Amino acid sequence: MTKRGCGSPEHTLHRRLFLQGGMAATASSVASFSGLFSIPAFAANAKASGKKVILLWLCGAPSQFETWDPKSGTETGGPFRSIPTALPGVHVSELMPRCATIMDKLAVIRSMKTGPSEHFQGIDALTRGDTPRPPFTRPILGSVIAEQLGDLDSPVPQFVLLDPCPEGNEFKSFKAGNWAGWLGAEYGPIRAGGDYSIPNLDKLETISDLDHEDRETLRQFLSRKYENDRRSEAAASYNAAFNRVRGLMSCAPLFDLEQLPKADRERYGRGAFSQHALQARHLIENGSTFVMVANGMPWDNHVFQHEMHQMLVPELDNVLYQLVTDLKDRDMLDDTLVIAMGEFGRTPWLNEARGRDHYPNAWSLAMAGGGIRGGVVHGATDSLGVEVVDGVADHRNLFSTIFSALGIDPHHEYELPGLPTFHRVEGKAVAIKELLV
Amino acid sequence: MVTMLTPKPKRIQEFKLPTGVLSAALSEDQDCVACACIDGVYLLKLDSGELKKLYQHGSYVSSIEWLSSEVIVSAGYDGDLCWFDVTKQEEIRRVHAHQFWSWDMALSSDRKRIATVTGQYIAGGYKYEPQSEREPSLCILDAISGKKLHELPHVPSVQAVAISPDNRLVSAANLMGEVRVYELGSGELVKQWTTSDFTSWGIIKSHSYLGGVFSMRFTPESDAVLLAGMGPMRDPMAGNGKQLWQKWSLSPESPELLDQTHEGQAGEGLMEALAVEASLPFFVMGGRLRGGDWNAAFFDLASGDRLTTLKTGYRITDARFHRGGDHFLLAGATSQGGLKKQGGFRDYGRVELYETVAEEPKE
Repeated sequence: MTKRGCGSPEHTLHRRLFLQGGMAATASSVASFSGLFSIPAFAANAKASGKKVILLWLCGAPSQFETWDPKSGTETGGPFRSIPTALPGVHVSELMPRCATIMDKLAVIRSMKTGPSEHFQGIDALTRGDTPRPPFTRPILGSVIAEQLGDLDSPVPQFVLLDPCPEGNEFKSFKAGNWAGWLGAEYGPIRAGGDYSIPNLDKLETISDLDHEDRETLRQFLSRKYENDRRSEAAASYNAAFNRVRGLMSCAPLFDLEQLPKADRERYGRGAFSQHALQARHLIENGSTFVMVANGMPWDNHVFQHEMHQMLVPELDNVLYQLVTDLKDRDMLDDTLVIAMGEFGRTPWLNEARGRDHYPNAWSLAMAGGGIRGGVVHGATDSLGVEVVDGVADHRNLFSTIFSALGIDPHHEYELPGLPTFHRVEGKAVAIKELLV
Repeated sequence: MVTMLTPKPKRIQEFKLPTGVLSAALSEDQDCVACACIDGVYLLKLDSGELKKLYQHGSYVSSIEWLSSEVIVSAGYDGDLCWFDVTKQEEIRRVHAHQFWSWDMALSSDRKRIATVTGQYIAGGYKYEPQSEREPSLCILDAISGKKLHELPHVPSVQAVAISPDNRLVSAANLMGEVRVYELGSGELVKQWTTSDFTSWGIIKSHSYLGGVFSMRFTPESDAVLLAGMGPMRDPMAGNGKQLWQKWSLSPESPELLDQTHEGQAGEGLMEALAVEASLPFFVMGGRLRGGDWNAAFFDLASGDRLTTLKTGYRITDARFHRGGDHFLLAGATSQGGLKKQGGFRDYGRVELYETVAEEPKE
């Protein structure tokens, strides 16, 4: 089901239309991205182009006790109470009052049991679907989705990572190959947000549009000649990168937080994570296929557990509520999968610093839309949240569920000349059927 | 009454409690300790070690004080203050002081006023500057009737509060290191300043604010305040900031930093407890040992020099002098540990009683 840029006249036409629309939007400094699509047919095309994903990557690993699986009043419950939700008998942490009202649209897995207990390994398992097998690099979820569902002809990046701080997390040192692995660099993310603002995207004023096009035609000719002569993968990657930059130039307003409607910015919240979640919605609305929103690694609360979760969870609660509600209101929820998860959970017991440490044995995550059935709480933990007692699921089951929801064959075998046999999801792991629409 | 200058603490009793102890206070007759614990309020009899659970809050119990020989008042993360008669074993009153936690509570030395502080840290800006308060952060109550007398503003989260020994001032400090001093009687703001030395903004991992002032006490003359917490960290999740106290003058001129932890006299870890006694020329600061070799230390009030140290093996959450400084009490918690094979968790709360054992310095 691999979908690659076909170079058809239709795509070429769309790109030109987009460029015109983008320039018009930039020139008029519109306050909303709706102005970017001055040609309605283009916006409609973006909307109808298939399934999309927004991954709220809660790096560092949030506590299931302070989010989706509260054990209030028990020895492991922590200081926060639980509250009822729109689903009878289902409670969440009092820090999530907004999500409590839309539980009929959310799917929660309370029975995640995964192996790795350290960040690097956990991040690999939960962003790639499997533990590392050096020297082979399994593509990250966003790369797989971009390759399967994305439109490489689109000037809008298909895989975007919004993460504001280079020092923020394990992704700091990632190169393109670390993300996309054996799929190839063109399926890696465009990284933006905060300190990763995309500089120098404006065309120099001294260059006319015609001159700019001529230069690009000449560059393409020389590059293809070089690529054909040398059979150079490096040149191909360079061309892929150049094409992406060229696409980015045309859609730079999509990455400008200041152009987001003020009312929307207030509604989503003022923190970087909230702002980038809103930006993710706009990117998805305007043609991106996979947007991953992270904010460093704030959830790793070995110390200040409750002091940090009192701030982080309400932010997540509001962001998830706003995203799901907006997508529903825009008739996009059925085609847009929203996932909120980290790389594992936190210990039921407190450490000496009154923090919670890493815990992969019994933890929770949430999803909505995009082929996932709302109003389902899958699995259960025991009364103290120490063990999974029902519906155990691991990262392979999760990825099988995600791929199935998006209409992607989870057990597809990659065609990788010279490499061992790899599957999109290994071990024929099954999807969690009750979560699928 | 001790008359010495040099403390030599000697532990005389130690107790384990089922859950972490966040605050503890010795009774007037010195026979028992009221303990504010994660799972409720306990009464600990010092002679027998008998432990009795008196009542619960809706969440962790954060502070506790004796109003008289019979009555205790506690504050909790449920935002409630609870008055309880220990002799009659009955609750007298419960006042919902805050919508969010009571982080800390202080009792005036004349036992007429109670101050309690609250505030939830909510992101208010792109870099996670705290949002302004949604309820008054500082609440002053009549200790006898429980009536709210003043509700005063601050910036959340307000984590430490103290009342001056002369019962004239109440001071509250927050996550961002902002200190506000009010007249206890009128509620009028008299001083306000910010020290950034207790607050971290995570360059790595957590791009938000953490830390702040975790304990505060006035000096015996009520002319300065001591603040305690932890110095800034590049990685806030490491918990490895400097064990830090600062002493700020309340002179009629602008507030002035008089002294702080001396170079080379501190390790790493969050400091959560300060104890000052009118008759003593030194104070105690305690908290967590993350790096170094102590988690409680005595400091000279005048010179700021560290006098002696303790390594307790658990995180200290409260420190109090008693009997005019002859004794002092430490409370805290170790790790909860994993689930035991037979079920349940180990007792991870700690209360220890020490003799101060102070001596005149040798010639």
